[in-house]
Formats: sequence, structure tokens, C-alpha cells
Amino acid sequence: MVNWISSLPNFSAYGTPVYFIYLILALLPLGIGLYFGKRFSWYEALVSFVFIFLMFDGSSWQQGISLIVYVIYETLLVMFYSRYRRQQNSAGVFYLLAGLSILPLVIVKLSPAMVGHNSLLGFLGISYLTFRAVGTIIETRDGMIKEISPWKFIRFILFMPTITSGPIDRYRRFEKDYRQVPARGDYLNLVSKGIFYLFLGFLYKFVIGYFFGQRFYPFFEQLAMTNHSLFSWSMLGVMYTYGFYLFFDFAGYSLFAVAISYFMGVQTPMNFKQPFKSKNIKEFWNRWHISLSFWFRDYIFMRFVFMATKKRWFKNRNALSSTAYMLNMVLMGFWHGITWYYILYGFLHGFALVANDWWMRFKRKHLPNLPHNKLTTGIAIFVTFNFVMFTFLIFSGFLDTFFFS
Amino acid sequence: MHNGRKLWSIFGPVLLAFVLIVVLFSLPIKNKHSTAMEKQAAVSLSPVVFKNQSIKQQALSNQQTKFVPFFGSSELRRMDKYHPSVMAARYHNYTPFLFGSRGTQSLPQFFNINSMENQLTDQKAVYIISPQWFTKQGVKTPAFKFYNGTFADLTWLQKANPRSPYDRYTARRLLALRGTDGTIGAAARKIAAGHALSGWDRLVINTRVGMLKHEDALFSEFQINENYQKHILPNIDKLPKKYNYDRLYKEAEATGERDTTNNRFRVKNSFYTKKIKPHEKRLAGSQRSLNYTQSPEYGDLQVVLNQFKNTNTNVLFVIPPVNAKWEQFTGLDMQMYYRSVEKIKFQLHEQGFDNVLDLSHDGDKTSFMEDTIHIGWAGWVKFDRVSNSFITSKQPTPHYRLSDRFLTQQWANLNPTPTNLQRFKEELK
Repeated sequence: MVNWISSLPNFSAYGTPVYFIYLILALLPLGIGLYFGKRFSWYEALVSFVFIFLMFDGSSWQQGISLIVYVIYETLLVMFYSRYRRQQNSAGVFYLLAGLSILPLVIVKLSPAMVGHNSLLGFLGISYLTFRAVGTIIETRDGMIKEISPWKFIRFILFMPTITSGPIDRYRRFEKDYRQVPARGDYLNLVSKGIFYLFLGFLYKFVIGYFFGQRFYPFFEQLAMTNHSLFSWSMLGVMYTYGFYLFFDFAGYSLFAVAISYFMGVQTPMNFKQPFKSKNIKEFWNRWHISLSFWFRDYIFMRFVFMATKKRWFKNRNALSSTAYMLNMVLMGFWHGITWYYILYGFLHGFALVANDWWMRFKRKHLPNLPHNKLTTGIAIFVTFNFVMFTFLIFSGFLDTFFFS
Repeated sequence: MHNGRKLWSIFGPVLLAFVLIVVLFSLPIKNKHSTAMEKQAAVSLSPVVFKNQSIKQQALSNQQTKFVPFFGSSELRRMDKYHPSVMAARYHNYTPFLFGSRGTQSLPQFFNINSMENQLTDQKAVYIISPQWFTKQGVKTPAFKFYNGTFADLTWLQKANPRSPYDRYTARRLLALRGTDGTIGAAARKIAAGHALSGWDRLVINTRVGMLKHEDALFSEFQINENYQKHILPNIDKLPKKYNYDRLYKEAEATGERDTTNNRFRVKNSFYTKKIKPHEKRLAGSQRSLNYTQSPEYGDLQVVLNQFKNTNTNVLFVIPPVNAKWEQFTGLDMQMYYRSVEKIKFQLHEQGFDNVLDLSHDGDKTSFMEDTIHIGWAGWVKFDRVSNSFITSKQPTPHYRLSDRFLTQQWANLNPTPTNLQRFKEELK
């Protein structure tokens, strides 16, 4: 059996243009059903199973096993907590369950730094599944999810278009979309938007992302490596080409996920909204990897602020928000991986959010006459953009190779 | 809007785009490349030319320009005025078509050679084998991926035979270096396991090859650099009108001496300043532990040899030297180096590949090396004399007798002492 599975072809999600032909053909009956107001749940489950299977078969079959074990584990936790929550609501149990549901991710993220190799528990997309699972537990705690079944939960966390890299949806929102088949006109609007996103995604990922990632970035990378100077034009080239590659590749991928979701009648939230025209770092995080930053905002930042206010940990409101920013972003850094450059990346962004707040206050108090015109807006965008690009250079890990190998 | 019309407005453009793409890629487009384009491609050394097929196939089929394929690696980029391409333009009636850059070792070359079977049948070629390829790991994964393309892989899979030990070996290596995903991965796994491809596999492969062919014809002229205009053309007139080997050799020696004045290794001044000087301390003794005698590269070389046998190509093999002063400084074990050369030559001669130009003992000659491991000036002049006489004079028909024992781990890991080679030779019989 294992031999057979490992001999099958493997197709990572949205890897090649041809993939879309297979995927859309497979989804066509579902689309026709939705057009006529019916959701063929069983057919959808079958297609999802086949495509998820193709992501985790072949040489990745071990990840496939980890995925199955992981989903069973998280489902048990969520079902247990949902049942418990209907009778009681102790904070201790909530923290225990939330902790248990994050545990596999923590092990997977810690393994490379602690034992030197990747954990067997890991699989592509584990963090995104964990966000959905933990989010579900938190929503249950808040009493927003009254009833949930194993089948509904699995349908949510394994939603095929978004399985490996998001966007991160919320259970309540997803379930509402899923229950209601959109009206014909609405569905057609969704499909029409979906097609547009799909083609925009092609342009982003397969054209622009390709040139940045496969042509421009390697060119500058090689130059910078032979240059041996930290401050060089080629290093600047590495920085910008990597930053643009990261955006176009990831935004393209997210557009695919959103488009395919739309075809399936589910309005998965958008992940990017022209992030490079942000005027400050706060706005940037409302435009960049939105589903992740909102997840952190709602479940880390806000929770911390509520708790700290309730328990009166801080006297100064600014100290409270600064601490919350730092906690939020450094945690996000850790989530990317336990390496100095991810952690520094999180730290810098936390620091930038604090500095941004400080600047806003300073401006209000001391510079009330500072004009708000094209020039100042342009400067703000320029500064934000270059700061972000600089943090992406750190995020890329290029400096790690540059210094240490 | 009525729903039917709305459906059309949504899907109409998509269907139209799809139809246009299919039409574009399946029209019988025969893009004829100009001779100027062929000449430019012949010295571009670009991965585009290496991976695509239409330009190289057309060029090598062109009877008038008489292109001769030169397979090699980074030395081909040393384009001084004695470079084979310049020499041929000045003195000879053929034009080298160069294939190779840093990292194009035997396995990438195999896929390249395999994609021009028709053009190589009963023809001559030059193949430069660098002992530096034969490291413990062989060709590095990033380098392989950089020079390997879907088109070449699928072209090879069309004819791959699961019963041939050579094709099974190639499939295994392809899987190890390229990865196991997609159509190519699945088909290569079958070949590696000795199973035939199904009718469906073939249909998928043939369809994709058909599309790629058109894509190739449409786009292969893009992104070809200007090496010809920059390094070849301006140099041709700098060579004396009449060919005189001794005079050229002396002149090349003098040019080399003039250009290697700022360092004790006698490498080109600019190379020294840029690549060596900043880390000179660190490089001392840095090659002490290198070993070229045991490497998967020997098996990779074997599939190339088998390919030449299949197309009955007569090949001149060239083994370039290393810079003796440099190797002494970096501590390369020269005994090991010469043993690896012996092992390569053994593999060639045992199987009937007898045209071998062994330059491995020329690494200490004046102006022979342009830098640490690449020949230049006088080295090119000597190289050109031998390759020219091989190409322009009639050669006896080669008689190749291949042994798949050269594909084995045993051969790859054999320590090539004279006794070990002798013993291996006896086992071959």
C-alpha cells in the first residue's frame, strides 16, 4: 500500500498552470450544481479528497500520514471542548485545550532548532490548520459556536482550496457560507470575480513572480555572494527582488485560493490589498497577509489587551499597547520559525508599530501644522515601503547564508 | 443581464483565450532561425540555448555553416582571442557550437546531447571532461536543476527503455536530482523500476512534447546574449592572417605573460584581484581534502558515452589541466588528481573511445592557464590545433564496445590504483 502510494504522481497545490485545468474540470459539476441552487456535498468531499491526496502522496506520503493523525487529534480536541463548553466554562480547561491544539505546531516549529531535523509530525500547511483549529476553540469559548459536528469541523479545516497556505478563514463565517447556497445571480458574480482573481493570480505568480524569483533574485543573489560586502548595490537588489518575489508569489497563490473558493460558493477572505501603498506600518498590516494579521490581532493582541486591562497590569495605556504590539509581532516571528532572522523580523515589526504610535502622538501634540499633501503622503509611503523591504531581506534568510556559510 | 448572457460574458473570454493558446501552440509553426542567430547562439553558452531544441537542432543540421558541437563547462567562457570559436572563425572551415557553463557536467550534457540525436548521428564532436566534476557528490542539485528542463526530460522519456540499464540509471539519477513530482517524476519512477510506460503515460508525454516544441519554436530566440558581438567578432581580426602554429603559440605565451603580472600564481590579473586576493589567506590549503577518484560522475559519464555509441558519434575527448602553482598553494593532492585522470582515460579507452587529448600535465606551462582551473591563451592554441586536425581530417570509424559495469557503484567508488584498474579490466572480459 505504502509502496503504491509513494509511486503515485504528486501535485502540489496550484504548482503549474496545467494543474488548474484538472482542478477546474473536477470542480465543474459542483459549479453546475451551485448554479442550480444545489450543493453536492458528497461530490465536493470526493474532489477535495482526491486533490488533497495528490498533494500528499508520492514522495510526500509521510506528510499525508501526519496530516491524517493531526486532523483526528484536532477533531477530538474540538469536539471534546465543544461538549464541555455546553455544560461548563472554566478558563483552565480552555487554556489547556488551546494549548493542546497548538502543541503539534510548537513541536514541529521547535524541532529543527532543538534536534536539528524536521519533525515527523510536520506536513505542509500545519500552521494554517492550527490557526483554524485554535480559532474554532476560541470561538467556542466565546459562545459564538453553539454546535459543531466532527464532519463540519473537518470540512472547515481541510477546505481544499486553502489547505496548505491559507487564507485563514473563521469557522462561523465559513459555515454560514457553506450552509447557504448563494442565489444564482450572486453565484454568477462570485464566479465572475473568481475568474478575474484567477487570471490576476496567473499574472502575479507565473509571470511576475517567476521573473522576480527565478531570474532577477538569483542574479543579484550571486552578485551579492561574490561581493562580500554587506552594503552594496547588489545587496539592495537582493532586497527588492526578494520582496517583490515574496509578494507576487504569495499574493498570486492567495488569489488562486480565493478564486477556487468562490467557484465552490465560499467567500474565503482576501489576503492582500495592495500592501505597498501603505502610508504607515499599521496600515501595512491591514493590507499584507490580512487573514494572518487579523487572526493575530483578534486572538493575541485584543485578548492580551482585554486581559491586561481587566487585571490592571499597566498604569499607562501606551505602555500597554506597546507591550501588546511587541508580543503580537515577536510571536508571529516565532511562528515563522525558530531562527534569528524570523525572530528579528517579528521584533522589528513590533518595534515599528510602537514607533508608529509614538509618531502619531508626537505629531498630534507638537506638529499640528504638518501639512497633509501629496509630498508628505509620498514620503510616508516611501519610508514604509523601504522599511518593509528591509525587513523582508532579513526574513529571506539571505543574510544567514551570507554571514554563516 | 440575463443569466445566459452573463454566463457568456464570464466564460466567453476564458474559452476564447484557451482556444487561442491551443491554436498558437499547435499551429505548424516552423520558425527558421537566421544564420546570424545561429552564430550568436553558438557562443552564447546560455541555459536557454542549452535547454531549448530548435536553434541547436537547426544549426547542427545546417550544412553550409558546418557547426561542430563542443561540449564542456566553464572553460568555454574564457573567450580570449585564442578561444576555439575565434580561431575557427579566422582559420577553419567550421564553427564550434558551444554547450556548457559552470555546472554542465555529464548528466546535464546527456539530456542536451539526447535532444539532438538526429544531428549527432555519424558526426564528430568535442567533449571536454574536467576532473573537477568528479567530486564525492557529482553534479550539484541546483546546477542540475538550472540546466535541466521539462522539454529535454520528456524528450528522453519518449524513448526511454525500462530494460536498458543505462535508462534505468538515468531515471534514478533524474529522480534524485530533479525530484519526484509531476508527470516526469511518475514516468521516471516507472523506468527506474524497470516498468514500461502505459499508453496513457505516452499520450500525456507526447502531447506535452508537441506543445513544448511549438513553444520552443516561438520563444527560443529570446534572451540570447551578445557574447558573439562582444567577445568573438572583435577578436577575429586581431589574429594574424596566416595560420602558423609556432608563431601563434609564442604570441599567446607573450600575451599571457603580459596579463599575469600581479600575482605569483600566474593567473589573469583581473581574476586575481577579484576572486583570489580578498580571501587569499582562507584559500591556502583549501583543496587538501578533495578527492576526484570516487564519484557518481563516472556513471554519469558512462550514459553520455552510451549516447555517443548509439548515434555513432566520433568524439574527441579533452582532459584540461589545472594550474600547478595554484594547486600547490591550495594543497590539491596531485597524485590523486592524476589517478582520477587515469580512471577517466581507462573508462574511455576500454570502451573504444580512443581520441583523447590529455592536457593534464600542461598545468605548469607558461600562459597555458588563464586562471586556476581554466585554460586560456597558449592552452587554447594547443587545444585548437588538436581539435582542428580531428575535425578536418578523415578519421577511422570508431568501434565502441560498451560495458554497463561502468554504471555500477563498484566502478564509481573504485580507487584507481594500477592494480585495481587491472583487476577491473579482467572482470570486464
